[in-house]
Amino acid sequence: MDPEAARTARDSLDLAFHMSNILDTGLDRHTLSILIALCDMGLNPETLAALVKELRRDPSSSQPTPTIQSEIVDFTVMDLPMLS
Amino acid sequence: MEEEQKVLDLVKELVLRLLSPNQTDPNLSTPSISIDSQQALKYAMRILSSRMTPSISVDDSAMAESIKRHLVNQGKSSDALTFADLYSKFSSKSSSSGSIKNKWSVLYLLKVISEDRRREKRSDSRVSSGFFASTVSGGLPVLFDDDSDNCRVSRNQKTLGKGWNGGVLLVSKDVENIRDIAFREFANLLKEESEVSEGVLVRDVLYACQGIDGKLVKFDKNVDGYVLSDSIKVPRATGIMVRKLCELGWLFRKVKGYISDSMDRSPAEEVGTVGQAFCAALQDELSEYYKLLAVLEAQSMNPIPLVSETASSGNYLSLRRLSVWFAEPLVKMRLMAILVDCCMVLRGGAMAGAIHVHAQHGDPLVHEFMRRLLRRVCSPLFEMVRSWVLEGELDDIFAEFFVLGQPVKAESLWREGYRLHTGMLPSFISQSLALRILRTGKSINFLRFCCEDQGWADAATEAAAAVGTTTRRGGLGYGETDALESLVIEAAKRIDRHLMDVMFNRYKFKEHCLAIKRYLLLGQGDFVQYLMDIVRPELSEAANTISSFKIAGLLESAIRSSNAQYDDPDILDRLRVKMMPHGTGDRGWDVFSLDYDARVPLNTVFTESVMARYLRIFNFLWKLRRIEHALIGAWKMMKPNCITSHFFTKLESAVKLQFVSTLRRCQVLWNEMNHFVTNLQYYIMFEVLEVSWSNFLAEMEVAKDLDDLLAAHETYLLSILEKSLLGERSQTLCKTLFVLFDLILRFRSHADRLNEGIHEFQARTTESSLPSRDMTKSRFKSNDEPSGFGSWVSGGRKALTKRAEEFLRTMGQDLNTIANEYSSLLKGFIAQLPVQQHVDLKFLLFRLDYTEFYSRLHPNIYGH
Repeated sequence: MDPEAARTARDSLDLAFHMSNILDTGLDRHTLSILIALCDMGLNPETLAALVKELRRDPSSSQPTPTIQSEIVDFTVMDLPMLS
Repeated sequence: MEEEQKVLDLVKELVLRLLSPNQTDPNLSTPSISIDSQQALKYAMRILSSRMTPSISVDDSAMAESIKRHLVNQGKSSDALTFADLYSKFSSKSSSSGSIKNKWSVLYLLKVISEDRRREKRSDSRVSSGFFASTVSGGLPVLFDDDSDNCRVSRNQKTLGKGWNGGVLLVSKDVENIRDIAFREFANLLKEESEVSEGVLVRDVLYACQGIDGKLVKFDKNVDGYVLSDSIKVPRATGIMVRKLCELGWLFRKVKGYISDSMDRSPAEEVGTVGQAFCAALQDELSEYYKLLAVLEAQSMNPIPLVSETASSGNYLSLRRLSVWFAEPLVKMRLMAILVDCCMVLRGGAMAGAIHVHAQHGDPLVHEFMRRLLRRVCSPLFEMVRSWVLEGELDDIFAEFFVLGQPVKAESLWREGYRLHTGMLPSFISQSLALRILRTGKSINFLRFCCEDQGWADAATEAAAAVGTTTRRGGLGYGETDALESLVIEAAKRIDRHLMDVMFNRYKFKEHCLAIKRYLLLGQGDFVQYLMDIVRPELSEAANTISSFKIAGLLESAIRSSNAQYDDPDILDRLRVKMMPHGTGDRGWDVFSLDYDARVPLNTVFTESVMARYLRIFNFLWKLRRIEHALIGAWKMMKPNCITSHFFTKLESAVKLQFVSTLRRCQVLWNEMNHFVTNLQYYIMFEVLEVSWSNFLAEMEVAKDLDDLLAAHETYLLSILEKSLLGERSQTLCKTLFVLFDLILRFRSHADRLNEGIHEFQARTTESSLPSRDMTKSRFKSNDEPSGFGSWVSGGRKALTKRAEEFLRTMGQDLNTIANEYSSLLKGFIAQLPVQQHVDLKFLLFRLDYTEFYSRLHPNIYGH
């Protein structure tokens, strides 16, 4: 990446971080950058937000049942949303 | 696939970071991911695959706006400003490599995350009912889908719903939920309280508003209102609302009762056309009201149409909706009930006036309503006015019009035939307009009956055409009082002009007035003189011996021998002699009078009482003339003649002095009386009669209608009466005057006697000296003969002288008495003159006293 782009990216990230602080989202810079990257790739922001909420709410998640596991493993690669 | 891998990696990292936020070093990407994170990853994948497209549209600025608004709502307006600033910088970094392409999604992401955090921070037990779940969790209802029966879901259910048991809401001890608690308790209370559904109540209220008793709502005579039967238990609020709505039913009952009452009464008792019009108008309004009720009833069974099909609603009409619908009919019905109340006992024009008073209202709805109502109510009234003003017809069976007519004779048609009935005068017709209306119709009737004239019909059509309405029915209505007024004014103008034309041209009103002045008020001098000359000897007899035919014949001859013979025969025809009823001891002078016969239509002006007043004036003037005539007669005898001088020369000196003084006193007295009478006569003739006449003439010129003419004539007569001391205020003066007149007559007879005595004495002496003369010659004849200085019979001379002396002395004494009386009376008369209120009497005083003779004689009396 050229330095121009890098600077732009950095600035954008700074601005986004600032905005996120104002909105009191509790995200740190790195997480935010990941999220921004994911958004840019076209993921649904609602989904991402839900994901964030879920994962944040229950950090001490309970033990999953074994039945689910196998299911989840299967569709990991298949069902990713592909974007144009 | 590279993309996918990248995504996967990123997600993995994200998950790691989120799961262990307290780990600061991001380089902890160990290949051995814990079980937890594995689960989390899988779960994350699941979530990510669940929804492809966002639920709201892509719009950067809108999103930014929304975020700003949220911030402001939370009270962080400075933050909002900062955010705006940042956003502008953020969005300016566009379309260069390295910048964020999907800014909207970033913003949206941030927004949703912040909202979630906020909600979580506020309470952790907000989510209690399935209904709210979707909004709370940021729009993810799919999380709780039935088909997601995996552990995740069940785990979430457990975490979220603390005792979620489908339908019944649980209460948490959180302070901010008190409102919710209250609502729930209220809903429970309502369910317990109401036994009946609202739809039934609504239907009953609709029945009540038509005056019909419903199942639950009935009319209670004791309370005089519609009440819910007590057995039904309804919440108090509903009961109050039902009662309020039933007020409409009560009002409706009242109005309907009045209408049916009037309808029942109308053939038997006289409700009147205005009352009937009022009922008709009310019924029209009620039919509008029925239409509204019919529509409402049809709607009351339908449910409310809603957009979503799954939700259900109540009936279209709830009590509250009904109260909104009823607002306008309630106002109208209340108005109608008020009008019914105030018109219960009124009829005709009074009813219209009372309703009009209520129409003075600022609200346009009320105004419009009243205008419609009044238009119908007043149409019979206006019709009556129109027919009265244009045709003189008074078809008023129920006595509702404000013009009352009564059958009278033709001559009092104008004065008493019609009058205003102020009780029936509606308040929007002013008094002056009503008077004009009365006069116009009266004029038409007068023309029709008294003058036998048909020309007024043209005048009426002209008037109607001028105003723009027709002479047919229905031209005018309420609210067009101006039009009515202009119609009346035009009609009045034309009809009055026509009437004046008829009076002056066809019936020669002016000529008749002049004739009355000439004959009754003694304006025609030569005629009066002849009449006096001829009639005088007759009238000196006693009243009951005089025959009126003879006097009438004398009147004829007087007319023929004066200029009056050239007058219009029609006028002369009407002049008659009238002998008034006499008592005993009356002379002819007291009962004689002239009369003028004024026929229809002039006898409207010259009524009986008016003629009586003319008679009074005539009597006075006639008396005055008689006095004048008497004095002139005395003068004829007092002028120096031979007899007197012969007698004078023959007398002895002692008697001579007496003779001379007597004669002189006689002459002086005569002079005074003559002065008085002449001036009084002059005053009456010129200052009173002529002046009043010219005023009357001037007023006749400008008189516009018969009322004006009558008024002018009244003033004319009144001024004559006042100024000639015949009025009520001058009664004492009048008496003094008549006493003066009597005194003058006495003087006349004394003067006559004096002269007769002198002549007799003279005749005696000449007789004695000229015995050859014919003794039977009348005394008057002997005046003409110049008697020479015959020799006195010496023997009879002394006796003669003595007798003459005695005679002269008595005469002198009498004259003295008369003179004293006269001067005292005159003094009293003149003293009273300045006190009189009438200005013109000062002129009389001036004439009588222009040399100030009397005021100098008695200075203290006159106050000079």
